[in-house]
Amino acid sequence: MQIELHKAIRELLDTAEYIKDIKGQDFWGIGDLWNRIYEIYANFYDYPLEELKNYYETFKREIEQILLKAEQTLTPYEIVKIVRHPQRFTLLDILENVYDNYVELGGEGELNIDPAIICAKALLSRRVGDEIYFHQVMVIGHEKGHGEEFRRGGSATPWGNEKALRYMKMAETEGIPIHFFIFTPGAYPIEDYPGAAQQIARNLYYLSKIEVPTISFISEGGSGGAEAIGLTDFRLMAEKGYYSVISPEGAAAIEAKIPDGRPPRELIEKMAKALKLTAEDNLKLGTIDKIIPEPPLGARRKDFDFFKRLKFELIKATDQVVLQTRSMKLLRRYALSKQTTESFKYFVNWELSEDEKEILLENRWQKYRSMTQWAVLEPKSLIKSITQRSAKITQSIAYEFKYQVLKKGQKTFKKFLDELLSESSVLMKPVSDPVKSVYNLIVGKKIRPKVRALAEIDVESSVYQSPLALQDKTVTCPQADKYGCPDIWVPDLYGEFCGVCPTCGYHFPLEYNWYLNNIFDRDSVKFFNQELSSSNPLNFEGYAEKLKQARKETGLNSALLSFEAKIGGISLVAIMLVADFRQGTVGVAEGEKFIRAIELAKLTRRPFLSLVHTTGGIRIHEGTLGVVQMPRCTMAVRDYVDSGGLYIVVYDNNSYAGPVASFLGSAPYQFALKSTRLGFAGPRVILETTGQPVPPDYHSVENALKRGHIQGIWDRRELRKRLFFALLTMGGPNLYYR
Amino acid sequence: MKIDFNELTQRLQTLKANPYKIYPVTTPHTGKIVEFKVKEGMKVTGPTGKWLEKPGTPLFILEREKNLKVIRSIYNGIVENIRIELLNKFVEAQETILEIKHTLTQEEIISEILLSTLFVIKAPETARYILNPEIAKKIEKEGLGKVIVKEGTELLIMTFMKRETPIYLTEKGTFVLYRIYFKPFEIVQSNAPLIGLCPVEDLPYLERLIQKIKDEWPT
Amino acid sequence: MKDRVLIANRGEIALRIMEACELLHLDYVALYTKEDEESLHVQRAPKKYRISDYRDMNDILAVADEAKCTAIHPGYGFLSENYRFARRVVKRERPLIWIGPSWEAIRDLGNKLYMKKVAHELGIPVIPGTINPLYNEIEAEFKAEELLEEVQAQGFHEVTFLIKAVAGGGGMGIEEVKNLEEIRPVFRKIRAYAKRLFGEEGVIIEVKIPKFQHLEVQILGSKKGEYVHFGTRNCTIQSPFRQKRIELAPGFCSRFNYEFDPQKVEREIIEYSLKLAKHFHYDSVGTFEWLVTPEGKYYLMEVNTRIQVENEISAKISFIRDTQVNLLKEQIRIALGDGLGYTQKDITFKGMSLEFRLIAEDTKRGFIPLSGTIQRFSYAPKPWLTLRTHVPQDKPYTIPTQFDPNLALAIIYAETFEDLLERSKAFLEELVIEGKTPKGEPLVTNIEFLKENLKYVYQFL
Repeated sequence: MQIELHKAIRELLDTAEYIKDIKGQDFWGIGDLWNRIYEIYANFYDYPLEELKNYYETFKREIEQILLKAEQTLTPYEIVKIVRHPQRFTLLDILENVYDNYVELGGEGELNIDPAIICAKALLSRRVGDEIYFHQVMVIGHEKGHGEEFRRGGSATPWGNEKALRYMKMAETEGIPIHFFIFTPGAYPIEDYPGAAQQIARNLYYLSKIEVPTISFISEGGSGGAEAIGLTDFRLMAEKGYYSVISPEGAAAIEAKIPDGRPPRELIEKMAKALKLTAEDNLKLGTIDKIIPEPPLGARRKDFDFFKRLKFELIKATDQVVLQTRSMKLLRRYALSKQTTESFKYFVNWELSEDEKEILLENRWQKYRSMTQWAVLEPKSLIKSITQRSAKITQSIAYEFKYQVLKKGQKTFKKFLDELLSESSVLMKPVSDPVKSVYNLIVGKKIRPKVRALAEIDVESSVYQSPLALQDKTVTCPQADKYGCPDIWVPDLYGEFCGVCPTCGYHFPLEYNWYLNNIFDRDSVKFFNQELSSSNPLNFEGYAEKLKQARKETGLNSALLSFEAKIGGISLVAIMLVADFRQGTVGVAEGEKFIRAIELAKLTRRPFLSLVHTTGGIRIHEGTLGVVQMPRCTMAVRDYVDSGGLYIVVYDNNSYAGPVASFLGSAPYQFALKSTRLGFAGPRVILETTGQPVPPDYHSVENALKRGHIQGIWDRRELRKRLFFALLTMGGPNLYYR
Repeated sequence: MKIDFNELTQRLQTLKANPYKIYPVTTPHTGKIVEFKVKEGMKVTGPTGKWLEKPGTPLFILEREKNLKVIRSIYNGIVENIRIELLNKFVEAQETILEIKHTLTQEEIISEILLSTLFVIKAPETARYILNPEIAKKIEKEGLGKVIVKEGTELLIMTFMKRETPIYLTEKGTFVLYRIYFKPFEIVQSNAPLIGLCPVEDLPYLERLIQKIKDEWPT
Repeated sequence: MKDRVLIANRGEIALRIMEACELLHLDYVALYTKEDEESLHVQRAPKKYRISDYRDMNDILAVADEAKCTAIHPGYGFLSENYRFARRVVKRERPLIWIGPSWEAIRDLGNKLYMKKVAHELGIPVIPGTINPLYNEIEAEFKAEELLEEVQAQGFHEVTFLIKAVAGGGGMGIEEVKNLEEIRPVFRKIRAYAKRLFGEEGVIIEVKIPKFQHLEVQILGSKKGEYVHFGTRNCTIQSPFRQKRIELAPGFCSRFNYEFDPQKVEREIIEYSLKLAKHFHYDSVGTFEWLVTPEGKYYLMEVNTRIQVENEISAKISFIRDTQVNLLKEQIRIALGDGLGYTQKDITFKGMSLEFRLIAEDTKRGFIPLSGTIQRFSYAPKPWLTLRTHVPQDKPYTIPTQFDPNLALAIIYAETFEDLLERSKAFLEELVIEGKTPKGEPLVTNIEFLKENLKYVYQFL
């Protein structure tokens, strides 16, 4: 009795400490209460048992009251603190309490490929009436540990994410669902092989079309690190979890523009609010599917009711994903509505047939394709949009006709006609005669252009004059100390030298217009979706003004240009991330434009080029709406590449973070110009996270090549020629000019 | 190889009596000195940081063809003899602008003494020299005192009379590249030391010698 | 305002430019580098600036502004044929007069392939070969076959091909091929070499002309569209690295027998040179280099868009209304905007001239350049001898190691070929150049080589 009471008081003390940590010393006298409890606990055996019982009851009541008040006044930043608290439940707690049996794979404890990533084969039981069924699942997630240093707070190394990928593949081979648990402040930002950004991109690329149901549960969703195992069919989130593009501290440091030292506390709290990182916010934004409730101030490692609920929700979510691939929608809904945490009414087999797998992938694509679309600002009238859509379909039919019909003959033709009828009946009524326009497209002209010889291209010398060149002055090459480069006259440098030091090959930054005017055939660049623009979906304070200013300065609506162009007569679709617009950061509009561009490339069987003038990552002002552009766009890349497209990425200047860890980094062909700096996180973030400074050439292209991130280093002076040869020699027979 | 410890002590004593070296800082090219960044007697540093990635103290600003070039210190030391009268004047190339009085470090003392111990390759002509790129790469990776060279190895490239002439190791045996005494692309007077080699079998002696210097000349 | 010329060069050409400026009563400013402090061109100039490098355009222009110069004479070598420098000189905020042809002419004529293409289009004979750079071996083989048929039809026997890197020059990136089977491997080799060394993969194939004389035409054009020529020169005697050692004017000598009519050939190459000069609106002194075969075939090789080292032998035999011409003076005068003031009819030719290039080089050991100290440099002054040198004769002189070890030019004039040869021999016999290498050995010069090669003048080599 006495011992139990001692233990109970100890628990009260822990709770008091916990509240104190989250809410602060002064919250409703919690500091004082903690002192009082501690006094009793420390001198436990000096008090008579009855008195102790009284104390216990009083304390318990007080704690409950304070807890209630704490819950009511919970701020987003306090949620962040809850998530980071050593008393919060971790993945190992879940494995112990939610799953019925598990075997850790790829290491245990400190003896591990990466102790921050746990992979386990687990059994999950389901009670249906009197029967108990066991499901096999693969559990993959971050392990924060309860303060153990070697877990690195759940920051996965590149090889940790590779470990995750390996077991994803194993689950796919065995045909069992995967449950992902995201407990990470962010990926460990080091570039050691396979590289932080590269591995996240590879994981996303694979997850796009993994043929088993995938469920994720987010407690701490730190940006790119979270996405590495976060592209799933159903996304659950803990009520007291956070899911954010960046830590509030990081956002505050950026907003306050302080390179070193801590930003002020008020700003951090303000950022936590502005980033819309809570579960509720994310549900509203549509970046998660469901919230799992938690006890006041969050679940800790001994909240068994929570685990019970979590288990129920995991099974339900998996059922739902599986059932969505099958017919009989009504029955499915009915079945799901009647379940309780204690007992399920139905057993659902989680194995999928081949057809169901196809539907699974289609559902997954639809889910991500429509995500965040509401946040895109696109001025359109109904007529215009319908015209556009039907024009697109007309074009689509034209290509279908050309490549499918003419190649494969009668059978396909039948299918094509069926599709044509069903599509046109719904969408094409406003347009006079779509079939006729298709006919015109096909019969009217031969589309296949002749690929010209190189000499012919080179003659087209450029008349584009870089505005940078219009000064009579000289500049010093930054590498002059090392290579003895003479000062360069600016008109030469930004003219004939293409911004490259003729002595050492150092690449000076150039304006984005230079690329548009010097890489592509004269007058061949045709922009589209220019009117698509970034909005301020989070109502982030000051962001609207920043966007307005960027629009005014650049005349652009977003940081991503999408266009059709030609290189040596070969038509292609391209996007370019430009530094001038918010450092080439990616938000909703950029993501949507990227997807539309790559879809157009797929439709028209053209090569797709991503030119990176600079990208600073995911734009923090759009929160997780920005983060989910990583999976969204990577899925589009996968779809395009699988359809036989040729996707080439060329980096220049600075390319970091989210985009590199997703739709850029997942490209099969990536090249970088000589002076590019390429990686996941900048040197400062690495120093802050790892405590180790990195050498000055850490993000150099030479190292990126050594790590296998890029396929080659190019010189800007030969960019056009290189691209032309790449288009000629790479890519499969599905390209229109093959 | 034997070490004459008496002679060594004597040399160290001479060096201790005047442990300085005066480095003149000259203009790399013509231009106008628009600003002095240092004052007489100021302490300046050369490049610092683990990879020498942080540049040295700015000394003055030289403007030529509208390019403001910050001339930085490449040595640690004290600024002396600033020619303040040159401020806002046009100066010719290779004009001495100030001097840096540099206190010799343990490492430099070792280099200095090793000059008489190592097998030194001297500049055959007054010319510009660079290390053979392959050897330079190896040194960058492994550091001095690690790279092994043999008879016939191409060590250096001399740019002389507009021609590039390779310099081979003609001495028999196996050596370790131990010290570099020149800066790439700068003109080296003929007979000035270029690199110092140590026969592999003498390495233990050399290490003892260095230890001895370190003992006598603490950092 | 009186013009002031910045002399952006060193050595004897700097001295000759000074002399020309003085003749025109122009101010001038000299440049030098630390290594050149002892050179005569530094001693002689009243106003001079030390710069970091003769190739450093920034230093040159900074000094031009500081010294309030209005024109730049680039001499030969260094930046003289750098069209970017010429362009910068005239395009900068404080523009200067470029004493040389327009930068466009330098660029277009300096690009050998482009020049060849234009010449070909104008019907000017060029060395048989590809006009466009080749990038792949199949095309190369095909072109070589075509070329073989073409030149065999023209009467070539035992054809040798030269595979050349477009970006190469001075004997770098060039290889001979005797039969078609070798084209492919050699082409690949040169292409790889060119890519590695010059960063440009283009390769051309030319036919090797086995035996020839190297003739060149001296042109002068003005900004007013006037053109004259100052005859031809013969520069066939060269080092193995294609550097001229003995030059003669005029290009053909009536004392020798030719299989063809030399006057006709001379007339034609002059006409063609003028045609090309006019096409490019060439407005300065320029040299058009030709190869002439023993059969009297001739091919345009390249155009030098600058004053030549050997310009003075042409000047010695050319007279404008009976006054001897000074080509440097003419070049400066025209750059400053003057018209010619005479026509071709006013130019007459009289006598012959020969130039020796005196160089510290070991002609027996692969013509390696030598450095060292000149202790004695003496020759007997003669009315028919002009010696151009920056080497002081009254004190020892250390040859700087950054430049070619050219010591002096000796220009000899005579009315007849016999006299010319005799005087040349006499000059070489009396000439003394003594010195020491840094190792203390006697310094070798090319005097012996010049003596031995005198017998080859006006020969097909």
